[in-house]
Amino acid sequence: MKINPGNPLLPLRAVVLHKTRETENTFSLKLSLPDTRPVTFQPGQFNMLGIPGIGEAALSFSSLPIGKRSFVHTIRLAGNVTEALSRVSKGDRVHVRGPFGNGWPVQQAKGKNVVIVAGGIGMAPLRPVVYYLLQNRKSFGKLLLLYGVRSEEDILYRDELEDWLKSGEIKVLLSMDEKPRKGILGARQGVVTTLLDAIDVPLADTVTFTCGPEIMMRFVARQLIIRGQGGNRIFVSLERRMKCGTAHCGHCQIGAKYVCKDGPVFAYADIKRFADTLL
Amino acid sequence: MKDAQGEGYLLARDDLFDWTDTLLRDFAVQGPVLKKKGQTVFERIDDPSSLQLDYCSTMLAPRNFIYPQRQEFLHIQRSSGQTRVVTPAPAARNILFAIHPCDMHAITVLDRIFSRDSWDFSYNKARHETITVVLNCAKACDQGFCSSMGTGPFLKIKDGYDVEITPVDRAYVMEFGSRRGRDLIRKAANLRRITGADLSQKKRVEKKAEASFTKFLDTKGLPELLARTLNHSVYKVTADTRCLNCTNCTMVCPTCYCYNTEDLTRFDLKQVERKRHWDSCQELNFARVHGGNFRSSREARLRQFVTHKLCTWVEQYGCVGCIGCGRCMTWCPTGIDLTEMAKEIQRDWSPAEKR
Repeated sequence: MKINPGNPLLPLRAVVLHKTRETENTFSLKLSLPDTRPVTFQPGQFNMLGIPGIGEAALSFSSLPIGKRSFVHTIRLAGNVTEALSRVSKGDRVHVRGPFGNGWPVQQAKGKNVVIVAGGIGMAPLRPVVYYLLQNRKSFGKLLLLYGVRSEEDILYRDELEDWLKSGEIKVLLSMDEKPRKGILGARQGVVTTLLDAIDVPLADTVTFTCGPEIMMRFVARQLIIRGQGGNRIFVSLERRMKCGTAHCGHCQIGAKYVCKDGPVFAYADIKRFADTLL
Repeated sequence: MKDAQGEGYLLARDDLFDWTDTLLRDFAVQGPVLKKKGQTVFERIDDPSSLQLDYCSTMLAPRNFIYPQRQEFLHIQRSSGQTRVVTPAPAARNILFAIHPCDMHAITVLDRIFSRDSWDFSYNKARHETITVVLNCAKACDQGFCSSMGTGPFLKIKDGYDVEITPVDRAYVMEFGSRRGRDLIRKAANLRRITGADLSQKKRVEKKAEASFTKFLDTKGLPELLARTLNHSVYKVTADTRCLNCTNCTMVCPTCYCYNTEDLTRFDLKQVERKRHWDSCQELNFARVHGGNFRSSREARLRQFVTHKLCTWVEQYGCVGCIGCGRCMTWCPTGIDLTEMAKEIQRDWSPAEKR
């Protein structure tokens, strides 16, 4: 969108249109920027959401643009800012800067199969990818969503997962650390890599998008490489401490890369050469 | 805008102080001043005689006049949520006077960081309003290795500065890198155009200065070497036995740019000042996120400092992040020397062992 093309450190005020409780510690805010030009952004990009007096946090979009001015962030309680954000209610205002980052390279996946591997809150930045793929269904081959959660209570967007499953447009598989009750989206017990066996498309012709704990992405990427996928076709979305979003504050650097500017989405082959990652 | 021959001027040594006096009328002149215990610092002068022009590098680089240690950049009215950008408004325009070429070079490195990918308002406003007067060095600093880094002892850049001064025999060669630099020089009385003889004298001073270095770093192939030796034991050994995590190296480094932000709510609870202050990759929590810390070990933090300055900076900005001023090793309580660490890695990878 370039919410604020002039000074990227100057936030705009967004109004909270809707607040949804997703799980015990996760909620979604539907926000709207009433007085700006139409909002545009790519799946995988992020905003800095702020509460004056508390600070700002980097949060991915968990929706595509809704109408001309609205979007959703799904937020897990993790610190001061997210805690303050959890206390806002409909009609309140929050500060927004963005969008920042590069987003998922969905164009590169055109004509190919797409495997999406999500872990926990990592489902949030991948949801707009699923929306995009389903909206442009004909441009892609087979679609798979592998989603790992700790327990039944931690499943995000359960209604939507069921709808996607029913639609038959995308294969949805769920793994759970706890032993799942019968009939919950056909969930299996285990970590998300146990679902990789279910990939029934040739990996040479597939693009993978994964987001979750970094250690999870390590095992997902390595398993896929062993199974024949190129490291340049596996895309990971990384989380780092961020203060600016403009490649100035220095916190998010991994080797020569700024997660806020060059990422947060990286080709696995391009980022694993650096130190200080779990990849 | 580097002057063609004859475009520069010559100013007698004694007249430099009169010139500085003239500048004091219109500008806030921040120059090197000798303090107790023999340390030179940059501070605002009100008398040219307090200038200490023959000085080794200061503890803090002049970067803090452009990129202050702490500054408010946003002011928020809490009740209405209205925001106002706060940019520095100096009462009089700053002249950074008699800064060394390495420090000038460092400012142009910061320029790349704060204006290339996105525009930092506070930095660029202060940078634009600050006039830079560079004093070429007639001899090497104790810990300086700027000749190895291509940043000294004489100015190596073609633009980005305003005035370049070179001490020659009983006079100064005055050249300019910008129009406002030329106008500044022309405020001096008793100027005369430089001649070919003056320029060859300047060249002789430069040669002599270059010959005075005792510290060197061979930078050829160094970024590539450091990129493939990330697990070299020098990081762990140095970190475990000597690094105190004090962050001095990053506070005195003239190219360090990392910052942290904080919101300060005033006591009336109506206004919030959003401030930023220099941060350091040597801080334990620098790379901490919810649930973990990506650089929890000192080894990782020290490697970040060394490899960022000498290796990854090149990929990011097309130049090395080290300008060879020697401050990080001078002010390290245990004398950790960046060049020694690089040399140890270079020794272990002598040509025979290289792939």
